[in-house]
Amino acid sequence: MKLALFGVGNAGTRLLDQLILAEDTTGRNFTDGHVLAFNTAPAAFEAATAIPEDRQVLIGDTHPEVTHELVSFDPDDDTTAEPDTPTDADSAGVDGDPNLGATVASDELPEIRRSLDLVDDTEVDAAVVIAGLGGGTGAGASSVLLEELQSVYEIPIYVLGVLPAASESDRRALTAARAVRTLVPLADAVLPVDNEAWRRNIDPLDDQYETINEDIATRFVSLFAAGEADPASVSEMRIDPADVRRTLGVGGLATIGYATVDLDTENRGFLYRLKRLLGLVDEEPSGPTDAATIKQLVGRALGSKLTLPCEITSADRVLLILSGPPSAISRKGFETGRYLLEDETGTVEVLAGDEPVPDADTITATVLLSNVTDVPRLSTIQQRAVDALSAFDDESPATQSTGETGFEFDAETDDSTETTAHAADSDVADGDDETADDETADETTGEATAGDEATGGTTADGATADDVTDDDTTAETDTAVDDDAASTSDTATNGDGVVDDVADTDHTSDGDPETQADDNSEADDTDADDEPLIPDAETSDGSA
Amino acid sequence: MKLATIGVGNAGSKVIDRMVEFEQATGRDLCRHTLVINTARTDLAKPKHVPEDRRLLIGETHKKAKGHGVGGDAAVGAEVAQTEIDEIRRIFDDVEIHEVDAILVAAGLGGGTGSGAAPVVIEELQKMYDEPVYGLGMLPGKYEGGRPALNAARSLQSFVNKVDNFIAFDNDAWRSRGQTIEEGYEEMNRELATRIVTLLAAGEVDESEVGENAMDSSDIMRTLEVGGVSSIGYASTGVDTPDDGLLSRFSEAEVSEMESTDAAKIKGLVRRAVNSRLTVPCDVASADRALIIFAGPSSEISRKGVESARDWLEQETETVDVLAGDDPRPNSETLAAAVLLSNVTETPRIKEIQDQAVDAQNTIEQQEAVREEEIESLITDDNNDLDPIV
Repeated sequence: MKLALFGVGNAGTRLLDQLILAEDTTGRNFTDGHVLAFNTAPAAFEAATAIPEDRQVLIGDTHPEVTHELVSFDPDDDTTAEPDTPTDADSAGVDGDPNLGATVASDELPEIRRSLDLVDDTEVDAAVVIAGLGGGTGAGASSVLLEELQSVYEIPIYVLGVLPAASESDRRALTAARAVRTLVPLADAVLPVDNEAWRRNIDPLDDQYETINEDIATRFVSLFAAGEADPASVSEMRIDPADVRRTLGVGGLATIGYATVDLDTENRGFLYRLKRLLGLVDEEPSGPTDAATIKQLVGRALGSKLTLPCEITSADRVLLILSGPPSAISRKGFETGRYLLEDETGTVEVLAGDEPVPDADTITATVLLSNVTDVPRLSTIQQRAVDALSAFDDESPATQSTGETGFEFDAETDDSTETTAHAADSDVADGDDETADDETADETTGEATAGDEATGGTTADGATADDVTDDDTTAETDTAVDDDAASTSDTATNGDGVVDDVADTDHTSDGDPETQADDNSEADDTDADDEPLIPDAETSDGSA
Repeated sequence: MKLATIGVGNAGSKVIDRMVEFEQATGRDLCRHTLVINTARTDLAKPKHVPEDRRLLIGETHKKAKGHGVGGDAAVGAEVAQTEIDEIRRIFDDVEIHEVDAILVAAGLGGGTGSGAAPVVIEELQKMYDEPVYGLGMLPGKYEGGRPALNAARSLQSFVNKVDNFIAFDNDAWRSRGQTIEEGYEEMNRELATRIVTLLAAGEVDESEVGENAMDSSDIMRTLEVGGVSSIGYASTGVDTPDDGLLSRFSEAEVSEMESTDAAKIKGLVRRAVNSRLTVPCDVASADRALIIFAGPSSEISRKGVESARDWLEQETETVDVLAGDDPRPNSETLAAAVLLSNVTETPRIKEIQDQAVDAQNTIEQQEAVREEEIESLITDDNNDLDPIV
């Protein structure tokens, strides 16, 4: 099927780039150039090699709270406790703040609409918004974009959203949990990619994006671009765009499984000839692989690492695509494979088809499970997000906080260190901070329960509090700019709290909270550029 | 018989295509009008023997179809056909209905377009014409799964209620090992086309070459008029080609001696036709009426053989309503017997499909009942502490 792709934010842009590259390598032209990338920081476009320049849309560059320049990093920073934090993404643009991301996108709707003119939605079968759900732009701007697309497009709109790994910050987990909460009701279906499942080793996630994105692109293309190869060969049981749309039509979260088997044609041919010479072949297996091989392949795809790991029996609908030489795929295998899916997933809504690739030397099975509802990974992220929220709430009584924030292994150490640091810090720092924190916390709790819209505005007290909550609870990311944002707000107390917390984080990052705890400004200085120094000083002054 | 044939959906279109192919290859002229209707543009391009202007794409403007099929959803298939009923009616304007004896609508019952749109088309045809409308439906195999079974079970009801007779074909009975995706259902479609054309093409030649034993269109229609579900049996055997001068003179000389052998051969052929794979397996005794067509060179069809074959079938079907007749094909290299078992009521496969459909419907209803709730609970945390971004 033909798709319009919209990459939003850093991760979204990278993945979009990879998908366009995959178009070339697989010969399946499924976008027809209907692509756009949106970013709040120009740097995000630098990595994109395949996205045409006129399709790179920078938004928010006039917004007062958006930073355009990349913060230059201390080389030491890369080796600190948080190697996986995509620092470049979060330090520029909206600084990892989804509310700000949403505000910027809302403010820039005229610009976004203008760029949407470049994409003809009548030429495509669906639109896909691609974003990192842990990022400020990815989560915030994509939510606004999705709303906009839904109001102007008749085609279904899906989201391909990257969930942060366990080693990424609490803040990103919180943003992702909120993004899922926002995007799922807005989108026709959401296909999350779990970075935690897809990272190959403990190397920094930054270094693995490319391989992860390649794997994801392979799966995405096998599913959505099936049959878009040129020239398209006619298939007996072709998967139509309507089949994909119907499968995803139930909404919720969807996941993709994938497996291939080598046909190994030459070997097979030789062996077969040899066997026949020796009279060992009694059947006539010349063309098709045996049915069992196909059935096994389908089973492997179902059992493979899914883009979003889940309990497969919770799937609502299922779609199977077998790609390969049509003369080599046993129809009985195709049918039993399809039936296996029905059996294993417990749903009767299984659509299956093939994509003829006459010259291929492999057969590929791609399985789409839609509306999976048993997703442990999402519960984990939600729990972590909730903990991050309450960690902020309970921040001052340090002991309690330790108990509650300890969650993910990486984060656990960070959090507890942070808390300790905070405790130490609080002792040294003024007592005002704690009071301020408590006040903010109260406000935030009230607001979260009320389910209010967080607009990211800095004028209303409540909104500011909410803003700060998000920033604050995830403050272990390098949020130097955040101080800036917070301190520009007129609520001095809130600003104060944020600054304080960031300082803690910085200590943690330095790995030596005890020694540096007594000097906030020094800690800031070590970690980030000189910018935060000024607001830091200001706020300190203000609270004093 | 002379037919206007309409294929709805991918499977239906393919069968019509194969029927035209078969009749062209055997010098028959059964399908006077062909038309294929589909919701997927790509599938519409597949038939080789249906003229471009006899292919109708429906649902191009439908929100869910858009010319890309209906995703196996019979409800959408029906909706699309209903919406474009004027378009469908318009394309029948070209059909000179007085030139045909009946209309045949072919569809796969497991898919969305065939099972959904075909009954709508049939309903319209019944309103427009007095001629009988027959259905030719492919039943999905067990391994095609619950949704196709549900489509088929529901569509079968519409079909049988609306058509004058429903000829069923069971994919499962015709499934075989070793077929590839590429071949797909080609082999099955060919087998089905052979049977349906051999049966219905009898009596197509009205004036010339009408032997006294020749089957007439009205005989076939009489057998079909009881309605219900029907099954076709078929068997063929090679014959000496008449233009093979020397040999044929030989056989003419030996005709009288061969008479008894020929009779046995004819009867044997009919036995084989009934006992071989029927288009839909059924209890032969449950048939309401039956009819045998012998298609081949008249010289090969022994009168004695025909009589004894008819007697045998009368016993088998436990009905006296058995017609037998010839479809003379002087140049044919084969002698074929096609047996129509009309209104068979014992068809285990249909019962199986219905059971599978009931299970599927229950599963689908259960899923629907909890769907929204499950999504909501999935995306929110336990205490609903997390708020959406926009």
